[in-house]
Amino acid sequence: MGRSLQVEFGAITSDNVEQLRKVNTVSFPVTYNEGFYQDVVKRNNEHLNKFAYYNGFVVGAVCTRIEPIKAGDNHAPPTAVDVEAPLTGQHRLYIMTLAVLAAYRGRGIGAQLIQSVLDYCDAINDGTASTEKNVVPKRIDEIALHVQISNEDAIRFYTHKFGFEKGDMVENYYRRIDPPHCYILSKKL
Amino acid sequence: MSTAASDNPQAGAGRPLPKKEADLFKNVVKHYEMKQYKKAIKQADTILKKFPNHGETLAMKGLTLNYMSKREEAHALVKQGLTMDMRSHVCWHVYGLLHRSDRNYNEAIKAYKQALRIDSDNLQILRDLSMLQIQMRDLHGFMVTRHTLLTLKSNGKPNWLAFAMARHLTGDLRGAISVIDIYLGTLSEGSPELDRGFESSELALYRNSLLAEIPNNYEEALKHLDECQSVVVDTGALITARAKYQLKLGDFDTAHSTTLRLFERGTTDDFRIQSLYMLCVLKINDEKVVDEALRLKGTRTLASYLPLTNEQKQTLRTAYREELAPLYPKSYAVQRIPLALMHDQDELVAALDPFCRRDLTKGVPSLCSELGCFLLLEKNGLLVKAEDPVDIKEHPTFQSLVKMVDGYVENLTACNKFAASDETEEAPSTLLWTLYLRAGLYELEADYGKGIEMLDKCLEHTPTAVDVYELKSRLLRKAGDMKAAVEALDQGRDLDRQDRYINNQTTRYMLLAGMEEEALKRISLFTRHEGNPEQNLFDMQCSWYELELAACLRRKGEWGRSLKKYSAVVKHFADYSEDQFDFHAYCLRKVTLRSYIEVLRFEDKLYGEDYYFEAVSGIIAIYLHLYDNPDLLKNDEEPDYSKMTAAERKKAKNIARKKKKAQEKKEAEQKEKEAAQNGSKNNNANSKKGGGKPGSDVVEEDPNGEELLKKDPLEESQKFVSIVSKFAPNCFDTWILQYDVSIRRKKYMLALQALYRARSIDSERSEYISRLVDFSTKMNAVGDLPGPVGTILKEETPHLLDNKSVKEFLDAAVAKIGQTGSKATLPVRTSVAKALVDTKAGSVSTAAALILDGGISAKGVSVQSCSDAFAVLKSFGGEAASAADKWVAQVKERFPLAQSLS
Repeated sequence: MGRSLQVEFGAITSDNVEQLRKVNTVSFPVTYNEGFYQDVVKRNNEHLNKFAYYNGFVVGAVCTRIEPIKAGDNHAPPTAVDVEAPLTGQHRLYIMTLAVLAAYRGRGIGAQLIQSVLDYCDAINDGTASTEKNVVPKRIDEIALHVQISNEDAIRFYTHKFGFEKGDMVENYYRRIDPPHCYILSKKL
Repeated sequence: MSTAASDNPQAGAGRPLPKKEADLFKNVVKHYEMKQYKKAIKQADTILKKFPNHGETLAMKGLTLNYMSKREEAHALVKQGLTMDMRSHVCWHVYGLLHRSDRNYNEAIKAYKQALRIDSDNLQILRDLSMLQIQMRDLHGFMVTRHTLLTLKSNGKPNWLAFAMARHLTGDLRGAISVIDIYLGTLSEGSPELDRGFESSELALYRNSLLAEIPNNYEEALKHLDECQSVVVDTGALITARAKYQLKLGDFDTAHSTTLRLFERGTTDDFRIQSLYMLCVLKINDEKVVDEALRLKGTRTLASYLPLTNEQKQTLRTAYREELAPLYPKSYAVQRIPLALMHDQDELVAALDPFCRRDLTKGVPSLCSELGCFLLLEKNGLLVKAEDPVDIKEHPTFQSLVKMVDGYVENLTACNKFAASDETEEAPSTLLWTLYLRAGLYELEADYGKGIEMLDKCLEHTPTAVDVYELKSRLLRKAGDMKAAVEALDQGRDLDRQDRYINNQTTRYMLLAGMEEEALKRISLFTRHEGNPEQNLFDMQCSWYELELAACLRRKGEWGRSLKKYSAVVKHFADYSEDQFDFHAYCLRKVTLRSYIEVLRFEDKLYGEDYYFEAVSGIIAIYLHLYDNPDLLKNDEEPDYSKMTAAERKKAKNIARKKKKAQEKKEAEQKEKEAAQNGSKNNNANSKKGGGKPGSDVVEEDPNGEELLKKDPLEESQKFVSIVSKFAPNCFDTWILQYDVSIRRKKYMLALQALYRARSIDSERSEYISRLVDFSTKMNAVGDLPGPVGTILKEETPHLLDNKSVKEFLDAAVAKIGQTGSKATLPVRTSVAKALVDTKAGSVSTAAALILDGGISAKGVSVQSCSDAFAVLKSFGGEAASAADKWVAQVKERFPLAQSLS
């Protein structure tokens, strides 16, 4: 492992979203559809969706969203939740993607990205987050993500470094990759 | 205008207006000057109601209308006014102003002079006249006019300065200085004009530059610097001038310490000052070397311009190491310049090693072109950068660089270090930039395939690196796959849609690939969003785009549209020239005399600029092509069906029908487009503030250049070639153009002169050789011409051929190419081969051998020159068919990605 690299963050906009596609395409076995990219651009919140720049180039990216937690919502995939279920008034920050280009891995870039997202949640909860541009709830109650059960590196990354807890396994979460099951990793805030 | 008209509104008319109307006339002038045109017209009409034939009123009304964009009406009225009152200076003055606004300066000057004949002391008219004279560079006339103005009004500072400048421009340097001195003498002691300040400083430095312009007068100039130091505010210019004078006077040690003072002021990274320093250290004060060295551009300095002896290099290295480096350890120039002063290759490479490492860690995309500056060759006693891949490959520095960079790549891949023994590990991006540099080195030696391989590795490593896409695309272009080049570049562009540079680059590549419509879409992403982007690009004087588009259309045989775009660039240059006008009065008023002189000198060389030349050579190439192939423009005419067989007739009719259909479709599209544009144009017209500049419709009027196609091709070519031969006489291509035009005009003397001029610049170029052979052949065919022209041609032509016959000359050229180690470039080989066959001086097989045997490894090999050679081989017909095939095989091996060979 090389020394860790200090990265800078930058917003994802309609002018540079193709870089996100490049990073995701080479990093993930699944392909994200056009809607994913459009949403990221539309949300236009540089705290939730951001690039990591090293030496001028994009080397990684994190994409998250804030969603209300519904009654009976047990981190299952959104389709499994009853759409009619009442809101609990609580909110969750859901990590959709976290990617770092292979050549730049193992140098603390992913951790810097996740830490910056956690810092944002803390800021929201402390009431110190700037809200001039983005409408966010007053409090984020938890942070969560799905991870393929075979991806041990990722599981270790979230649980050891950031104290996420490994939750239930969701079967057949993925369609085109093997194994298709995933765990839910989450952390209460 | 104001003084003239309001002082004496009824002058010359012989029928003075009554008081009431005279007052009204004053108001007309006043409103005109305040740009209240409607009011001016209204009052003029009131006068004209009573005195419909009052010349001055008619003229003023006309002038006012001209500014309301009613040009035709304006001309008619002003002329009418003038005929009514030929003895009025107002009418003549207005007539002049009208011509001036049409940029018809010579006519305007005549009118002003006529006005002055009636009212010789009219300051306003004299001032207007002097502006036109300096604009037209009637320097003598300018001086006379400025003298009159100074005599009439000797208390105006601008009048003194203008007269001094007039004397300067007419070459009377001492006279100019004495005018300045007399002016300074008129100032009373304690006048603020004599205090330290911008104006007095500029005037003093201008006077000083005059002193320095007088040959061998540096001593006096130096003395004057000391005298005027107290008023000068531009201390940098003062010290630089002082150092130069001291250097030129051979006072090297003083010049040296003056230069050090310049460095103290923070000019260490001004490479010209660095050259100055080197000249001082080496004690060189040769006038020509000094002037040239101080004019070098970019990072070039004396060290990369003049071949220095080892001893000189040693002296400079010591100076940099012991004097400058300790003082300015962070200066880029101070670190870089000694690299060009190394004793031998090993030392240089050892010195380049840390230089490269630093830039690779930092990620400097220009590192490769930076390193290219160290690949120097000696040519005609001066150092030049090696450009041809053959030279570069052989260059020992290049070979060492390649070895060094290959070592980096290996170690970085293995252990993230430049060298296995290094302690510090590099960041991943270092490998990226090292691969990028390696690709750049492959580009220099024209091994594009390998370069692209490197860049693909870069993209695997960091697919978000925009610079990599750009370089990859350039390599693909040079490798001959334009379509792939566009794709790669457009991919890179898509990554950062805010990057105007890569957007423009994509536009350019699309034009090179013949995709002019897509190109317009791309560049329109960055033009103003409303209105016609083409018009916007024209208004922005976006010459590079217009030139590329013109070239693209020319390749497609769209002669008219291409001419149209080339002409747009010609128009820009007319505007640049016109732009001076504003400075004539302004600079004198603001006393920015030194910059004013610079502007005038720049404008004097304006038509020698590269973009103008490119436009002109495009225009001439098209006109000559049309002249040589008059049938090209006759495609509308019906072919003669009667002489055809039935099958042929059917085919021809089919083609004609298809053509007509395509034409109709195109026209319909055009109309639609125009309709859309007119809508937006009207909106623009409303927002525009009466900007009645002539030619603002240049883009929309005659968009297909049909009017341009109707012009006489030789006359147009002649017009342009005479401009470039005046303004760009040191450019080789000027004389090739001159030859091409003159030979068609049967102006043999001009053609001969052009050949002589071309030869004096570079006698080794293929373009020269082919023209020379063409000329000799044509002269043989024309036979003896009568008169002195014939005598001169008969005497001089053989000199060009080294007193040989055409056949002997070509035989010698063939023998020279055949020698082992021949330096003949591929284009030279091709043009000798072609000449050999054209003149029947040699066999097709001899000709083909010139290209086949060693052509592919000669200098001047590119995809373009290879396909030119192929075209020549093909033109030899069946006899050279196998040669052509063999050539294609060779080219395919050298440039496997090349898409077309035709």
